[in-house]
Amino acid sequence: MSKVHVCKTSDIPSEGMKTYDVAGGLKVLIANAGESYYAYQATCPHQDVCLGEGFYDGSLLTCHQHLWQWDITTGEARGLAEAPLESYEVKVEEGEIFVLRASALKVADLFAGVSDETLERLNKIARREERNSGSTLYDIGDPTDDLYILESGRVEFQIGRDDRTSAAGFVLVKGEVFGWAALLDQQPQRIAKAVCLEDSAMLRLSGEQTLQILESDPASGYLIMRKLSGLITRHMTGRVGK
Amino acid sequence: MKIQVNARNRAHYFDNETGQTILYSGLRQAVELPYECGSGTCGTCKARLISGDIADGWPEAPGRKYLKTPDEFLMCQCIAKSDVVIEVAAFVQTMEAGTCTPAFLGGHIKSVKALTHDIAFLEVELREPLEFDAGQFVLIKVPGVPGFRGWSMVNYQRHCNTLEFVVKKKPGGGISEWLFGGDREGNEVEVFGPLGRATFYPSVAKNILCIAGGSGIAGMMSILARAAHDGYFTQYNGDVFFGVRSMRDAFFLKEFTSLREQCGKKLNVTVALSEEEAPASAVADYPQLAFEKGFVHEVAGRHMQSRYQNVRAYLAGPSPAVDASIRMLLQAKLTTDNIRYDKFS
Repeated sequence: MSKVHVCKTSDIPSEGMKTYDVAGGLKVLIANAGESYYAYQATCPHQDVCLGEGFYDGSLLTCHQHLWQWDITTGEARGLAEAPLESYEVKVEEGEIFVLRASALKVADLFAGVSDETLERLNKIARREERNSGSTLYDIGDPTDDLYILESGRVEFQIGRDDRTSAAGFVLVKGEVFGWAALLDQQPQRIAKAVCLEDSAMLRLSGEQTLQILESDPASGYLIMRKLSGLITRHMTGRVGK
Repeated sequence: MKIQVNARNRAHYFDNETGQTILYSGLRQAVELPYECGSGTCGTCKARLISGDIADGWPEAPGRKYLKTPDEFLMCQCIAKSDVVIEVAAFVQTMEAGTCTPAFLGGHIKSVKALTHDIAFLEVELREPLEFDAGQFVLIKVPGVPGFRGWSMVNYQRHCNTLEFVVKKKPGGGISEWLFGGDREGNEVEVFGPLGRATFYPSVAKNILCIAGGSGIAGMMSILARAAHDGYFTQYNGDVFFGVRSMRDAFFLKEFTSLREQCGKKLNVTVALSEEEAPASAVADYPQLAFEKGFVHEVAGRHMQSRYQNVRAYLAGPSPAVDASIRMLLQAKLTTDNIRYDKFS
């Protein structure tokens, strides 16, 4: 978790918003609502439009391009929006606004609702890895050892063999989980090839260790398995995302 | 040649038709690729090339300013030179059954008539009829001028053979200058369409609010034509706000008068003049219409106060005017699915 200075509270108009480029290549939108400040990704998850040019009424944020909307207190999609906003934890200290960059594990939808204690234990077994554009993370037939969470960059999947491969068409963004066969029984081999389309960073969690941790917290484990079955169903019907 | 589009939700595959851009080929094959103008200015159809070769038909397209990396390109301008794989950072669906799938059509200019000092009424006769929804637009290419330009249809009918448009003269605007630059009747044109999502059909079953600036009124006329034809305004309200600078910029006032006579009191038309008070002569000549001074979104805002229940709004015109109207409607708590517009000019 790293703490990044963004601006002063006095820079943000009451019930208003502004976008900033901060250290580490992060673009962040800061919005005020009453006594609170919120921080989100500064570009629309739809088509990279700058959300600072949109509309904000103190509770609902609207992208001016195609009117996607989000609840400013949660970043959840409203109305036409098909995806939530990525949020950052905000710290206000003596009139200065900071954002905390959480680990991808915390952002991952698969782990939403998991107890803090279990999340901390998962964090401990996570290995961060950076891979160059074009490198293969795993190939068809490889053992399903690890579960991956994308932190930055892009990963593409290919299914089929030799000259009959075709891209599965899934473009992953931060917080998306792949290689989840590592959590399944009787799926010892990869059925797709995962390739980095650009320089990418990811967290790797041993499937076996993850399952052990979840066994000691069945409530969290149950949540994850429910989400996982939803994820698999969407892949099977070809409708990843919402 | 094969095109593969990796979208956020799934992959799509279609054939690239010889000489046609990737966007037009995809739309023709019912793949709802993202676009707004379809003519190189808005940047909405940007995509990333993963593999294969493409040729850019318009490397100076203004929409290229929205591209961030060298492997990004505009699908509306680029042609595939080999099988290509591209990535679109959006959710892409196939078009619903019943959608009017766009096609290439030939035709010729039937007539060009002046409506005001800088606006013309254009009729294009098609070689084969076009099906479209009220509120849609087509892209048109004329001889000797590169690229397509989008215009909304003014009229509405099924199996339409003659398309009507409103064209604003823009200094430096290639096609409008060509059109105003001489006798153009009989000239062959290429038409691609229909396009656009700001559509009206009677099953919308809501009160209709139209806010348009200048030539943006074109698509509203199509919506009103369809609504009037189906007796829509016996059941629902229609409020039309037409913004122009002054009376010398106003047109279609006779058409609005006859629409009002046909549709009755539930249809109201207000002409908003941004630069002058309505002259007494206008008020006397068009007793069926209202005239008011102000920007069109302000005039609409005053009239619509506390009348937003069950409203579907359609917006068109210059970008700042549309943005101001959107802001006004969002403040009035209109839900976004009831705010319809296509920014293509």
